[in-house]
Amino acid sequence: MRAYINNYELQCNAGNVSELMDAIYKKKSALVESSDYIQGSTAGLGIMKYENIYEVLDKVVSKVLEASNLSTFENTLLILGSSVGGMQECETIFYRDKNYKNINPNKYSMNALSDYLAKKYKFYDTRAISTACTSSANALLLAKRLLDVEAYENILVVGADGICNSTVQGFHALGVLSSKKCKPFDINRDGMNVAEAVAAILLQNKKTENSIELKGIGASSDAYHMTNPNPEGIGAMESMNHALKDAKLEPCDIDYINAHGTATLANDRVEALAIENVFGARVIANSTKAITGHTLGAAGAVEAIISCEVIKHKKIPPQTNLDEQENQNITISHESKIQEVRNVLSNSFAFGGNNTSLILGAQK
Amino acid sequence: MKSVVLNICSASKIYDQTRIDDLEEKRLVPNMMLRRRLTRNAKVMLYLSDKCGFQNGKVVYGSCFGELEETVKIADSIAFKTTLSPTAFQNSVYNTASSYFSLINSDTDEILTISNGMKTSLDALKIAALQSLVHGEKVLCVAVECLNIKNIEQINKCANFLEAGAAVVVEIASDEKDAHEIKSVKFKGIIDSLQALLNVVDMYENGITKIRIEL
Repeated sequence: MRAYINNYELQCNAGNVSELMDAIYKKKSALVESSDYIQGSTAGLGIMKYENIYEVLDKVVSKVLEASNLSTFENTLLILGSSVGGMQECETIFYRDKNYKNINPNKYSMNALSDYLAKKYKFYDTRAISTACTSSANALLLAKRLLDVEAYENILVVGADGICNSTVQGFHALGVLSSKKCKPFDINRDGMNVAEAVAAILLQNKKTENSIELKGIGASSDAYHMTNPNPEGIGAMESMNHALKDAKLEPCDIDYINAHGTATLANDRVEALAIENVFGARVIANSTKAITGHTLGAAGAVEAIISCEVIKHKKIPPQTNLDEQENQNITISHESKIQEVRNVLSNSFAFGGNNTSLILGAQK
Repeated sequence: MKSVVLNICSASKIYDQTRIDDLEEKRLVPNMMLRRRLTRNAKVMLYLSDKCGFQNGKVVYGSCFGELEETVKIADSIAFKTTLSPTAFQNSVYNTASSYFSLINSDTDEILTISNGMKTSLDALKIAALQSLVHGEKVLCVAVECLNIKNIEQINKCANFLEAGAAVVVEIASDEKDAHEIKSVKFKGIIDSLQALLNVVDMYENGITKIRIEL
């Protein structure tokens, strides 16, 4: 059985899907330099305006339901991918009280978000995956496998992460946070921008007129280091090759790569090397994190939606904020390119050397 | 919705009211520098996977509350304005324990981490069943909760055993003969997120080696 992406919506610093794509094609970064999180320093961040993350979840998920061919989600499995879950609300209480007495443990972990959605929309069942920055990419991987084996007919994947003090300051402590807007794949890049987003994707076993197929999924572990990728890019190459094999495609069948491209020194050097080794310079690659920032556990779903839009628009986006490309053996476009886009590969990599690649394609 | 039947190939469980004494870290992780970085969840996971005789292949790891001790270190650093440890941050993600497993065993295969509240170990088992069905391989399914942080009594109203974990190695059975539903015997004092997997381990220890589970 095949997996079709039939509806989706998101909310991020650049707005909804249509506003985000407009920003990507016009190279209008929605990142800001904020002094709210790091004492005495700025941090480039991707920030949304909202009262709490639940209202964003509700807005995005309800739009997907309205646009779908379903009247309810009662026969739909929900798979959440998140790296912080309900931590945003709980850490605020802790910083205020300096104790745990007013923290509800059920609102702390990942299920805080999935439980909220399950209660509101009465999903058949829920799963929640937390593999740091590959969380929602792995949620999509799981969804495809469940559709493949005909366990479900409708699966809603939600990637969601709100900005937390602990993540911004944690990445700052690791020395990988840029104080400015990030510069993926640039020789002078100096780090990533933490960001937040909610993205929801409805996958079904039956295609509709506007379906994009999730054709292939691949995953691997570096088994190298907790935060640094294998310098030879072996894990990244493996996940991309596994996705190609799963999709029964060759590297020449891919027209665009939406890279993980966090703009950290280590990721971009290694990912560019892995892309060079698997695809050479034939395929255009870039990172849309120069617009959105790194939305952590939501990134896989956000970038899967961007990939779907690129296929539908038949227009490969330009790389924003790139002055001097570090790896000259891959192709990164400075301008948009209008062309038939048959298949897109989207990478997500995470702490612990957790690698996931997705291949999304136009239906034949 | 689809059900499958699993063979339980091996199983192990461990729990303690405060802190599990001997997790055999020195034998399991001879490299001292690496051993010193391990979180409690990672130590329990490594112990259980060793007891199951599993070193390489697909892993599904589950934890409702993840790396609580490391998260507390980060929150304390921010709240009380002390230096935030980068090691605490890198060790705070939910897939830390399974990543150390991968690192120590040079396991480059797929590793998934599940966290879904009190359903966590049941969901981990469902996903392990899916992985085994899709790939035709044995899969390690392990779930761990380490809740023994300072002032846990301010928030803990249900668990008497603050460190606990369970693990099984599963594979798709060739037939459904003698398959059992997963029991729901309550392991008193142990957090609900581990109950399903503890029941499966208990069934295995009592001679039941085949279970049916819905994907």
